[in-house]
Amino acid sequence: MARTNYPERDIQRHSLQTRLTHDVVAIACIWLAISGLFVFVPSLAAAFPDVAQGMRMSHRIVGAIFIIVPILSAITAPKGFKAFLHKYFVKWTPEDVEFMKKFVPYMLGPKKVHMPDQDEVKSGQRIADGAMVLAAILIAVSGLVLWLGTSVFHAGATAELVMRLVHDVCFILFIVFGLAHIYLGAGIFQPYRGTARLMWKDGKVSESNALYHWGFWARKEIEEGNVEVAKEEK
Amino acid sequence: MSEEMAIYYDASKCTACRGCQAACKVWNELPSPIDFNAGVCTGTYQNPADLDPHTRLIITFNERERENGYGVDWAFGRRSCMHCTNAGCVNVCPSGALYHDPDGTGLVIYDKDKCIGCQYCRSGCPFDVPRHTGVGVQGAGIKIDKCTGCIDRVRNGRKPACVTTCQPNALDFGPRSEMLEKAHARVDALKEKGFADASVYGETECGGCHTIMVLKYDRSMYTHVPENAEPNGMTEALGFMKPLAAVGAVGIVAGLGLSFLTGVGYKRDRLYYDEKAHDEIDVDTGEVVKHIDKEKGER
Repeated sequence: MARTNYPERDIQRHSLQTRLTHDVVAIACIWLAISGLFVFVPSLAAAFPDVAQGMRMSHRIVGAIFIIVPILSAITAPKGFKAFLHKYFVKWTPEDVEFMKKFVPYMLGPKKVHMPDQDEVKSGQRIADGAMVLAAILIAVSGLVLWLGTSVFHAGATAELVMRLVHDVCFILFIVFGLAHIYLGAGIFQPYRGTARLMWKDGKVSESNALYHWGFWARKEIEEGNVEVAKEEK
Repeated sequence: MSEEMAIYYDASKCTACRGCQAACKVWNELPSPIDFNAGVCTGTYQNPADLDPHTRLIITFNERERENGYGVDWAFGRRSCMHCTNAGCVNVCPSGALYHDPDGTGLVIYDKDKCIGCQYCRSGCPFDVPRHTGVGVQGAGIKIDKCTGCIDRVRNGRKPACVTTCQPNALDFGPRSEMLEKAHARVDALKEKGFADASVYGETECGGCHTIMVLKYDRSMYTHVPENAEPNGMTEALGFMKPLAAVGAVGIVAGLGLSFLTGVGYKRDRLYYDEKAHDEIDVDTGEVVKHIDKEKGER
């Protein structure tokens, strides 16, 4: 007789510390983008000079949070940080390559295009998140030079200009990858519904979603017993 | 006033009395340190050592031994805003605080209310002129301070304060073409007197400056007088960043918008993985949609 009882199960994907780190950095990113616009867009700062001053100050404070929080998180959880790096620096599988080839057609036709199984971090995620992390490091370094180089020490004209160029280029990278990240991560894209829970709620993913997004990883977790029943099937 | 104007400075006539420095401070209400021995000794008569947030103009002192061994060449220079046509400070100012005088004098002026204290103008200036009031880490209330060519006086038909106080007539102010003519004539006269390295500075630098200087000696005798001065190329590259960001933002929003529209109505069946049979099952139909053949190394 065929089985009919399939309980809804969840897999824990992100720890509380990972979620907190992500969420603080994400909010900081959004605030930095908004406050940065007051320096980046002349008409905005010219229209609201008093607001612009406040925004500049907040850009420095939030910028410090943006830099310090992930560093503190990595220091307090070195094993987690090592595991994080291990997930991103892995050898590409044929499925990873296939995923990238299908990515654009999939984004423009998710009903017709079916993606291959993926490990814990999709190849597309590795590229997009990697670009964001790289941009974050460069934007943090250039921001520090722009900030401290005009207050604590004098960085010099060329260094300031180079750092500003780096800061601006990374800002553009952040806009492009950040908006795509929000679109997918917040589950605005229909096939990604439910993914907001991963970072903004309990860090769990439903078994069904896990199998769809990260098939190799999901099956491994379930086989190892890292799955819990969320709701019994009636 | 629609004519391009210029401040003229003749280093060969300057006696370095620094009356111009004092006049600038008085007219523009810029304070000086009054504490005992507040000034920093630079080893010369130059004081202060460089431009600062309350000093828009300094007379520089440089000297060198003469090649013939008799005495020294003593060069006085004027260090202040050059009021460039291609002004790096204006190029990089993100708030629109710095701009060229709309009356067409060519003077580079600013609106302090719009200044957000980013200090990018200093990095954009090939002469390292702009200074800022305070350099606090917190970044509050920092404002630019630099020579405005006494635009308030110029608009009322008067010459800049520094010019009016110059007793040896080393300074002058007038139409740029006349100041250039005067400068070239003076350089010709200096060369006739044996100052072979005398030159006009500010004629072509940075698209043409609105401070024209007669240099008695070669440029190395003066402070921050670079050869063929032009704003750093990166100041123009920075100008491309805003349209690039706009294109990037519009492009990604349009792309994601299209993606969203193509995904409307998307649905998928709930899946369950039977870890013992290694089957992925469609929960609604009970159908096995995928079997993982572990013996073949599938995962």
